[in-house]
Amino acid sequence: MRRESFNLPGAVTFIAAIAIWELAVRSGAVSFDYLPAPSAIALAFVGIVRSGELFTATLHTLRSILIGWVLACLIGGVLGVVFGLSGFARRWFLASLEVLRPLPAIAFLPVALLLFNFSLTTELVVMVYASIWPMFINTMGGIANVASRLHDVSLTLKLTPLQSLAKVLLPAAGPAILVGARLCLGTTLVLAIIAEMIGNPHGLGYAVVSALLAIQPEQMFAYVLFIGVLAIALNACLLLVARRLLPVYGREAMSDV
Amino acid sequence: MAASLMAEKTDDRKPEAAPAAAGNVYECDAVSLELFPHGEPRLIIDRLSLNVRAGEFLTVVGSSGTGKSTLLRLLGGLVPASSGTIRFRGSIVSGAPSDVVVVFQDYSNALLQWRSVARNVALGIEGKLDRTEIEARVRQALQMVGLEKNASDHPWQLSGGMQQRVQIARALALKPQVMLMDEPFGALDAMTKATLQDEVLKVHGQTGTSFVFITHDIEEAVYLGDRAVVLAGPPGRVYKTVEIALPRPRDQIRTRQSPEFLHYRAEIHAAVLSAGGH
Amino acid sequence: MSKGAPWIAALRVGVPPLRGLLPLFGLLALWQIINPHGSPYFPPPSAWWVGLAGLAKNGRLLTALSATLTTFILAIVFACLIGGLLGLLIGRSRAARRALGPLLEFCRGLPPPVIVPVGVLLLGYVQSLKLVIVVLVAVWPILLNTASSTAGLSDLLVEVSHTMRLGRFATLAKIVVPSAVPAFLVGVRGAIPLAIIITLLVEMLTSLPGIGSLIVISQRQFHSAEVYGLLVVVGLIGFAINGLFVAIEGVLLSRFPPRASYMQGN
Repeated sequence: MRRESFNLPGAVTFIAAIAIWELAVRSGAVSFDYLPAPSAIALAFVGIVRSGELFTATLHTLRSILIGWVLACLIGGVLGVVFGLSGFARRWFLASLEVLRPLPAIAFLPVALLLFNFSLTTELVVMVYASIWPMFINTMGGIANVASRLHDVSLTLKLTPLQSLAKVLLPAAGPAILVGARLCLGTTLVLAIIAEMIGNPHGLGYAVVSALLAIQPEQMFAYVLFIGVLAIALNACLLLVARRLLPVYGREAMSDV
Repeated sequence: MAASLMAEKTDDRKPEAAPAAAGNVYECDAVSLELFPHGEPRLIIDRLSLNVRAGEFLTVVGSSGTGKSTLLRLLGGLVPASSGTIRFRGSIVSGAPSDVVVVFQDYSNALLQWRSVARNVALGIEGKLDRTEIEARVRQALQMVGLEKNASDHPWQLSGGMQQRVQIARALALKPQVMLMDEPFGALDAMTKATLQDEVLKVHGQTGTSFVFITHDIEEAVYLGDRAVVLAGPPGRVYKTVEIALPRPRDQIRTRQSPEFLHYRAEIHAAVLSAGGH
Repeated sequence: MSKGAPWIAALRVGVPPLRGLLPLFGLLALWQIINPHGSPYFPPPSAWWVGLAGLAKNGRLLTALSATLTTFILAIVFACLIGGLLGLLIGRSRAARRALGPLLEFCRGLPPPVIVPVGVLLLGYVQSLKLVIVVLVAVWPILLNTASSTAGLSDLLVEVSHTMRLGRFATLAKIVVPSAVPAFLVGVRGAIPLAIIITLLVEMLTSLPGIGSLIVISQRQFHSAEVYGLLVVVGLIGFAINGLFVAIEGVLLSRFPPRASYMQGN
């Protein structure tokens, strides 16, 4: 495992990009009406931190993401195991699910708004609906894959179905399930933002849109960039936790999806 | 030094040709190769000197780490030497020499899986010859390896042995003067291996192409070769050269049971063992 | 190995047994039976149809549909061209990959929805806004997948190109580009749902013409039957596009070795 030397060209390019952005705006070379300079964005960022707005919004979004992600993982995971193991389920129910799957969850937002109005429920319902799919598909695929391979192993060891599931199938399907969980997290985040932009006036998504409507470009960009960093941080956290709890899975499951 | 010995190659069935008279296709003089993985210098080949005679079948054996594959890549112009000279037909090798083709062990990844067999075989000659000539060469090459019926299949539809034959046909389509083969049958089962060994010998006999054949299988080295070179290392260098005076055409049963064969096998085996001790 | 027309094989692949549709239809039928006149919150499927017919009659449905589909198709085409080309260029150049690495990583991690307000702010509420934003979002999976595959071109194939004495252009055309096709298609497969979602999002946020703005209008007027009906329309669009892509992909990949079961993403 060679340690990669520090990516100097990469860092330089990154910084240069920011510098060029600053220069372009200040000198008036780039003429977007509302493009703020990085320095202005940084100032605005300090502002929203100080005022606590960032904290409140982030807390709301993170809370939604956590609840949504856990729910989606549970439901998607259970469904995935059931469908992975049961040919009966696949024969009689999978087509219905496959028809629902391409349905963009965003189209459910107006329905959820009708039913639950502007509320956290709206946000969660849409988030969970969308995020179930990656977890479901990957778990089903993972379990089905190992079930056929390890069927004989379980028979030979005379394991009960429950033991077989817990000791053999779930661990073997681990990498696939982990990939599903990571994708699920990504989807949860995206849908949380979308829901907050349209359906629930709280959180980071709403903060971005209200800064847009109030024509506060510096604030808006500050939130946008913060969301980007948050997304990377969440994914990194998940990877870190996974590496700690499940060191056996090695690089395959941890590699960048 | 190198002559236009084998410049004319016809595809008529010739009687088994003996290795041609005078002339080396390859002359390696104190060739060294030094690489720098992770920034640390590592000597892979150390002042290796070797000649390949025109028309001969040269086998190269040695345990892992003796730089067999690297030697092949040096000959094939895929890797430049750090010092020393490699001459092909008298000229210094720089880049892949024309009339030399390498056949790799990993046939699956060396073929273009999205192209049909025929188009794979044509890879080296398309754009360089006219249509009819290309078609003729592809047909001949496929005939030589027995795959005429599979011309429109895709490699992934074929077995390992057949895929390796496609790679060999691809090399043959270029009508090379030298075929460099890097443990080409290492990934195949024993029976397929035997079939392909005889096929390669048939090609050698019919076309008079020179072969440099890397293998870790000593019996294969004796069965195929006119000469066997035993490498020692790391770093790689020539430890011993054994002339193999077994009669051609060779036969899987008779040749392998002959006392001479066993003698050569023992000799080379001993050489490999003691080369490992150095 | 089937030697029939590749597109027929492509259509057959990966369709679960059709009787699995029974639960869905059963549910809809049940809904209809239980709720013939419907509460405002859960109108029955028959009401959806009526609502949609209403929208279709004055041409609003068709206008919206064509606006959304046009944006989507154009965006995917542009994203394929730009993403494929840039992906190849970046993949080929180790220097570019190192230098652009952190920037690309950041853009990759940025959740697509946030690009919408940025675009709106910078470009204003113009018709071309939709297309630009969707392209900006859809280009990433394609670019990244293509770049990664091109960069990962096996050393062996490079050696093959040398021993076969292929020039730089020949190597590019005969080896690099074809071997990147499967990864490119994986990228497109990821870009498609993204493009649909973001198209709808832009329409919902900005009320630019399209199905998205139509749904929002119906929702604000509490025409729930229309909302459900439009939901079905969106579902059908998604389903049809997905099916079309699978068929096209099947044809394009018919020459390639069959892929192991898909596990990642959608």
